Amino acid sequence: MVPLIKIEKRNDVPMALYFFTPFIAIILTILGGGIIFYILGFNPIEALKFYFITPISNLYGLSELLLKATPLCLIAIGLSFCFKSNNWNIGAEGQLTFGAIVGGGVALLFYNQEGFYILPLVILAGAIGGMIFALIPAILKTYFNTNEILVSLMLVYVSKLLLDYLVVGPWSNPEGFNFPETRQFSDSSRMPLLFEGLRIHAGIFLALAAVMLSWFILYKTYLGFQIKVSGLSLKTAKYAGFKGKTMILVVFMISGACAGLAGVGEITGPIGQLHRMISPDYGFTAIIVAFLGRLNPFGIIFASLVVALTYLGAETAQIFLQIPKYTGQVFQGMILFFLLASDYLLFFKVKILNLNKNELRH
Amino acid sequence: MATDLRISNISKIYPGCIANDNVSLQFKSGKIYALLGENGAGKSTLVKILSGVISPDNGEVFLNEKNLKLSSPLDAKKNKIGMVFQHFNLFETLSVFENLSIDATEDNKSLRVRINEILKKYNFSIDLDVPVLNLSAGQKQKVEIIRCLLRSPKVLIMDEPTSVLTEQETEELFISLKKFCDEGILIIYITHKLKEVLSLCDEVAVMRKGKVVSVSQTQNEKVETLANKMVCQKLAKIRKKINISKNKDEIFKVKHLNFYSDDPFETNLINLNFSVKKGECLGIAGISGNGQNELFQILSGEIITPDTSIIFRNKEIAKLNPKQRREYLMAFSPEDRISQAAVPELKIFENVALNNFKSSNFFEKGLVNERKIKEHSKKILSDFSVNTDNVELKSQFLSGGNLQKLILGRELITAPELLICYNPTWGLDVGAINYIHETLIKINDQEKSTILISTDTEELLKLSDRIAVIYKGKLSKIMPSDEVTPEKLGVLMGGGSID
Repeated sequence: MVPLIKIEKRNDVPMALYFFTPFIAIILTILGGGIIFYILGFNPIEALKFYFITPISNLYGLSELLLKATPLCLIAIGLSFCFKSNNWNIGAEGQLTFGAIVGGGVALLFYNQEGFYILPLVILAGAIGGMIFALIPAILKTYFNTNEILVSLMLVYVSKLLLDYLVVGPWSNPEGFNFPETRQFSDSSRMPLLFEGLRIHAGIFLALAAVMLSWFILYKTYLGFQIKVSGLSLKTAKYAGFKGKTMILVVFMISGACAGLAGVGEITGPIGQLHRMISPDYGFTAIIVAFLGRLNPFGIIFASLVVALTYLGAETAQIFLQIPKYTGQVFQGMILFFLLASDYLLFFKVKILNLNKNELRH
Repeated sequence: MATDLRISNISKIYPGCIANDNVSLQFKSGKIYALLGENGAGKSTLVKILSGVISPDNGEVFLNEKNLKLSSPLDAKKNKIGMVFQHFNLFETLSVFENLSIDATEDNKSLRVRINEILKKYNFSIDLDVPVLNLSAGQKQKVEIIRCLLRSPKVLIMDEPTSVLTEQETEELFISLKKFCDEGILIIYITHKLKEVLSLCDEVAVMRKGKVVSVSQTQNEKVETLANKMVCQKLAKIRKKINISKNKDEIFKVKHLNFYSDDPFETNLINLNFSVKKGECLGIAGISGNGQNELFQILSGEIITPDTSIIFRNKEIAKLNPKQRREYLMAFSPEDRISQAAVPELKIFENVALNNFKSSNFFEKGLVNERKIKEHSKKILSDFSVNTDNVELKSQFLSGGNLQKLILGRELITAPELLICYNPTWGLDVGAINYIHETLIKINDQEKSTILISTDTEELLKLSDRIAVIYKGKLSKIMPSDEVTPEKLGVLMGGGSID
């Protein structure tokens, strides 16, 4: 008797359950986190409270939550265009960095000037920078059949090293005592703050606009229809005569522009200059956000808030419990793991069979 | 020791089709047996039963008078029945030796010695330490054969082994098979190629629609007699009135269609030339895998071949994609309804929007005009008697017949001048088949043209005005269908030639 595990596809998965599983994943993540805290010797309830409640129990905390959710949401919205159409852009972090470099470059040009036109120029430059950087894997994929996962991922390191070079070399602050950073941007290049004393800035409106616009494009336009069909069946897209190459270029451009906007939002918002650490891997974490939000624009808002909380919680836990803040990544990893696992069980059923039994028929 | 394999009263019924209907056959070692039949004749089901992949609803298998319980491929192995499938079961990135050692019971050293003995004995030249992906199709097949030989099989079943081989490799394979046969291995050779049966096999069993219709010595057979047995003899009662008139305009003309593929499972097309007249149905017959897929995709514009000339209504369209070709009033119905012609996860109206042509106004200024699409879809559902009027229904809930009606309706509602369809009634029930056949005849009555690529000879004889046969990527001459007999088709489909 050889026990055999057989995986079968479920025929129809209820839509309601499909949107409910992310919640299951989040609950399992919290339980998993509790167990990890217990093993580390903390009171799990208390630790979880520091992680998920303390950070947002005051106005400043809420502002920080929105501040962190903004880039995550923007990038994830862009990524949803790629993922929905079966294009695996893994390099949003690179597009964010390059967008920040181009946008930051423009801001530095105007470092000693004032003017209402400067910020829009900086933002536009950031979006274009991200777009151009995302076009590299897209063009290589469409015209040279390269794998966009590898190319976009490797370009992350290219842009990060370029940023490194710029901030220690040509762009470093002449009065900065050789610190690896540029000059401070002028006030005209900074995102307006929404409230006195809080760091939350106007970039959040960019994210909200991206959500609305992406909903409109994905569900109300021919482009959205083509993206949907290509994601479900490339064979059908080909048969319908969609211009596959153009679509790949367009979704990468949208995705890159969103990541570039996120980058420029960071440097013109809370940071105010270019230095080495402009993003705590928002570009990678946004991949989790996109899937947790089910690639749905409104789902992504929710998911970006949840994932932003893991960043905040990790910082609070580091302060109050002396747990390294990298536990934030553990939580993000667990969310993705539990989401994938519950999706698997949602789409497939597992049967255990015995080889000798008669059920094992093809 | 002589081997005697007997199949007794095997039946296997799938929902809606009888794959094997009371099949009894007897095989003795020292001979090569052919199992001949069209697509869907039941050959594959029978060999899957023999190799334990599926089990029969009824009937028994005896090996040397011992009743075999074949409930898994493992049982077939234990009983020394070896099987080489048409598509190889090899790990491409592992070396030949690693592939062979996966299910071996002995240690690597003695395994290697035994493999080398086999290589020497049968004159196979294969490097055991290169990854399988570097091998040619013929060499991969040899690896599969070695895997069987390592278990010293009594029975060796080959499922359409020459479909991916070159002429040279085919000859080599035949020499090896004859050697195995002389050593007392019973060989069952599944094919639809008539010439191979005659040149290789001693005895031939012909299957049609799940039944064994004849068992005979190949020396008493000719290509024509086998073709006659393989192809259904009864002609359909309703047959279209043949509609050939010399002075009608040629609406569609293909010149120098060539296609070369790197993929060994694709078929190269060699210099196809044909034309279709107004109001005519051109049938293209052939056993599947002879280039029909590639031909359909080139005609629809999914594959663009650089040197081909395709003239449609006096315009050169060879460089246009499917959407652009639709604008010129061509329509396409591919073989694969479920994952190509329609997307099961999409709603009916969304699937209708896939055939988006300019005058439809489905998408105005890049925006979805849902109202227009739904109106249009409702009309298709009622005009083509699809059994639902709910355009929001996901297509996966439609039966095959209704889905095909939806697809045909979607393609035809633009009133195309030329419809190209590939196996339009594949897998459908009789009612749906009749409906689709009537629809296709109606198109020709309205002076619109069709190209019907089909593996169903009955359907072709019923609907076509002229018929050509595609075999290994080459097209036979085009014949008026009243001059075509099922035997002639069978000979051409099996690679034979007629005067």
